[in-house]
Amino acid sequence: MNPFEALRAAICATPGIRCDTWYLFADPNIIRFFGEGLRETITLSIASVVLSFVVGLLFALGRLSRRPWIHWPATLYIETIRALPVLLLIVYFGIKGTALFRPIAEPFVGEDFELSRFWAGVLGLSLYTSAVLAEIIRAGIAALPKGQTEAAFALGLDYVKAMRYVILPQALRLMVPAMMGQLTTVIKDTSLVATIGVFELVRQGRVIYTQYFNPLEVFLYIAVIYFVICFALSQASRRLEIRAPVEAKMKMKIEEVRLRDQVA
Amino acid sequence: MPGAIILEFPDLYLNGLSLTLQVSLLGSIGALLIGTFVALLRISPVAPLRWIGVAFVEFFRNTPLLVQLFFLFLGLGALGFRFWSTNTFETIFRAAAVGMALYHGAYVAEVVRGGLLGIDRGQVEAARSLGLSYVQTLRYVQLPQTFRTVIPPLGNIGIALIKNTSLASTIGVAELLQAAEIVESRTFRTEEAFGAVILLYLTLTIPASIGVNWLERKLLIAR
Repeated sequence: MNPFEALRAAICATPGIRCDTWYLFADPNIIRFFGEGLRETITLSIASVVLSFVVGLLFALGRLSRRPWIHWPATLYIETIRALPVLLLIVYFGIKGTALFRPIAEPFVGEDFELSRFWAGVLGLSLYTSAVLAEIIRAGIAALPKGQTEAAFALGLDYVKAMRYVILPQALRLMVPAMMGQLTTVIKDTSLVATIGVFELVRQGRVIYTQYFNPLEVFLYIAVIYFVICFALSQASRRLEIRAPVEAKMKMKIEEVRLRDQVA
Repeated sequence: MPGAIILEFPDLYLNGLSLTLQVSLLGSIGALLIGTFVALLRISPVAPLRWIGVAFVEFFRNTPLLVQLFFLFLGLGALGFRFWSTNTFETIFRAAAVGMALYHGAYVAEVVRGGLLGIDRGQVEAARSLGLSYVQTLRYVQLPQTFRTVIPPLGNIGIALIKNTSLASTIGVAELLQAAEIVESRTFRTEEAFGAVILLYLTLTIPASIGVNWLERKLLIAR
């Protein structure tokens, strides 16, 4: 026996390591099965990021507003949501989502309206991510020199036009690396949606290991899939960051958000 | 009144709170120890040690905590490793605490490394030329200065850790979120059951974030 075979035999003799199930991870059907989970993970992430960006932008502008009845509700929303675990929000929407949206959706969909698990997950994730993105966007806008706003107003632009044509195009460009960093967090966070029964990567993995009793192999396999995606994205974000250095104060805020709101 | 349901199920909520605090506390201590150790690996003059440090940080930061917890509990459980306990509750509790420590340890490592690299080279050179060894320089010159600058970011990681203990519910630790789910399934009073837990989480995380912001300002002025 050559040393590789001996090593393999020793590994496979360990109870709990299921060499007899290793062929699964090269089996086209199983790969397709995990592929479906991955597709769900990616759709969840994209839907959540898009929704969170829109909501987050509104709340960022709300928090920057000088009118107290806009500023304080926006601040309260952002700070409360950021202080809560995202899993709590997801579980809550998983249980209560249908009842919450029934009054709005019933006239359009009819009696048997039911919020799908997918959208319950997207809402739970977006509620949280919108508050986080609001803080990143706010930091980006605050990092622009004050002269930009003043010049826009002096040229006769109103608030909406100044935001639309002067402030946001510059601020959003500053935020691209931070946003990409947040995307990796959202991808990791989608794993939590498995708890309310969306068949994304982790849940698909559960189906496999309850059938073949090989949790060790399955979770390693899933971890590697997540790693490849998230590592690539975070490297890309880091590279962009180096190319576009930002102001120290904005960097501090983004660092704070990155550490405090880095979940799962 | 919001939170009144706590008085109806005091054992569930208080046990939940106690478990959340225990996992947070053990997780933070573990994360601090692991993070400091890995940061030292990452700035080590020995290249293979640096590679181990990088691999640790990148692996734990780029995989979901949920998958790590499942791996620690179910994956290692299949190997027969039960965290030196025959009691299943004890095993999942320890798996959760270790998971928190490893995941957040990777973030701590990055922060501590940043702090160590932020120290002026002259400090290290001065210490070495005074005859201090590599370890002594770390112990008496670099680490004390680092911990001062890294306290606010470490506080932020601590807040994230408190929130992330909710993930322990997925492997069966009866912490706050689990308590809410149990009460909800018994009473179907969803708003009250979750409202109480939201209040409890807020009483943990909001004072913590006010404290961190205060420290951040204070240390910024002192510098």
